[in-house]
Amino acid sequence: MEKCARATCFVPDTGCDLGHTDLSKCPIWHGARVADAADHDVAGEMLMPWSGSAFGLADLGFISGRAKPIVIGVVGPQNAGKTTLLAAWYLLLGRGLADTEGRLFAGSYTLSGWEAVAGSMRWAPGQPPRFPAHTTSRGGRAPGLLHLSFDDKSADRSVDYLFTDAPGEWFQRWAINTNSDEGAGARWVSGNADAFMIVADREALAGGAMGAARGALQRIAKRLGAERDGRPVALVWTKSDVDIPPEMEEAVRGVVMEMMPDAVEHSVSVVGETDGDPLLSKGAGLVELLQWAIDVRRPGLRLPPPTSTSDDPLFIYGTRKR
Amino acid sequence: MTQTSNAILLVGESGVGKTHYGAQLLRRLMGVTGALRMKGAASNLEPFEAALESLDEGRAAGHTPRSVNVDSVWPVISPDGREADLIWPEYGGEQIKSVIESRRLPDAWQKRIDEADAWLLLIRLEQTSVGDDMFSKPLTGLKGVSAENREVHPSDQARLVELLQMLIFSHGSTSKSHRLPRLGVLLTCWDEGGIAQTPSEALKARLPLVSAFVRSNWRQPLIMGLSALERPLSPTARDMEYASKGPEHFGYVVEEDGTKSSDLTLPIHHLLGAGI
Repeated sequence: MEKCARATCFVPDTGCDLGHTDLSKCPIWHGARVADAADHDVAGEMLMPWSGSAFGLADLGFISGRAKPIVIGVVGPQNAGKTTLLAAWYLLLGRGLADTEGRLFAGSYTLSGWEAVAGSMRWAPGQPPRFPAHTTSRGGRAPGLLHLSFDDKSADRSVDYLFTDAPGEWFQRWAINTNSDEGAGARWVSGNADAFMIVADREALAGGAMGAARGALQRIAKRLGAERDGRPVALVWTKSDVDIPPEMEEAVRGVVMEMMPDAVEHSVSVVGETDGDPLLSKGAGLVELLQWAIDVRRPGLRLPPPTSTSDDPLFIYGTRKR
Repeated sequence: MTQTSNAILLVGESGVGKTHYGAQLLRRLMGVTGALRMKGAASNLEPFEAALESLDEGRAAGHTPRSVNVDSVWPVISPDGREADLIWPEYGGEQIKSVIESRRLPDAWQKRIDEADAWLLLIRLEQTSVGDDMFSKPLTGLKGVSAENREVHPSDQARLVELLQMLIFSHGSTSKSHRLPRLGVLLTCWDEGGIAQTPSEALKARLPLVSAFVRSNWRQPLIMGLSALERPLSPTARDMEYASKGPEHFGYVVEEDGTKSSDLTLPIHHLLGAGI
């Protein structure tokens, strides 16, 4: 069966990009071979326009239709625990332990993507849990985007969030050369995110290659500081159960705070306190960090108050000044 | 007196007990004591014929084959004289599974979703699980071990949320009404769990993600428990008490506040409440 002529439409793999549930009514698809479509069993079936996997740029149209989603950029060198952080959130949501204040999980169009990153952290028969596999660095121009929607009771609507799941190599290349080809994906994150989490891996900072790890992190922090343009940043210490030398901690914190004085600090770990009910174990600091991420708001535009002689809203504008 | 057509779409994966509930509900509707009763005769009882016979004998009904796809129309009336047509679809539960896996909604299903005034989702808690992960059952010495690519089976919660999202999307793109149909969640085989909580607490404890999704997308979801048979029956050996007393004396629903009632028509009555 022929593919659709639109570059962002993936019929027959997913539903129509333009929202036509009946393909024969789509003006673009109509241009494709209609007889072919009728032969195929797709006729009469409604195909969902999302595949469940992590979003790419082409899928963004579907989710950003009602409002621009809030993009949270997860930035850090490779093997720092960026994907593990996302997977841990998903597992906590699934356990009902991510009790974010006043915000309820309201859906996700990338459930398969979440399952793929979190699946390895589950116990399967005969297999102990593992940390998520390395996010492969393809020559992509945009990261995988994982979608979550949270209900906002105060505003009576749900807000969409996209979390970037990008390989650490991208950020390392981007830190060295902001225009490098390999850093194109990192550039996308830097250009489009509404808030950043810069992930510092305590294990790497305490390990054999601590100097290189510190250097890479400091370079990324400097680059981010130069490009963030006032957007909120959180410095996230992952694997917080690992002890690192205080000078090392200071060196990293120093660079981050120098570049971004308003950055907030979070320490997280999947290893939490061991006492108590294991079913209620929620690691350390993860829920607080999620709360920070979904509390991110895009700065709104503040209009100057109208100068008016009347208090009546109907007459605020248009009354003549004497 | 106005005649309204009230269709309820019954959604449930295979093995949750759709046929048993249908057969038991049918018997209650034919009686006179419930909150709803049958007015006239149902259009087609064929799909439930075998199940009714098995239950009469005190045996569990067989599995509904995947190919079965029949809508049967039951005209019902409440004691105060209000009427409605209950459209009860009978289908093999595997259809739901293949809908979720292929992300394709067949014609018949789009029509059902479009026409339904309420959706009744059946979940059997014993069939679903959250499973252990590295939070609930940490493994010491896990550090630094990362996974090779291994096959990931979607969790039960992800499957159920995806199913509801597909229903919502289909409703949004074909239906003329902007309001979502009411949602009822029935936790079936309540007798298996032995959990002395209200149904909504049970759902929240066992399937937190589904519970959050339901509560954030519907303002007032109806969450009830159901034990259509009251005790497990075997497909082969007969239960003597069942055979002698009759299946209409068994089965109960658990109301939202946790009280039990033997009136199996209550979930339908509550769901139709707005329209009937």
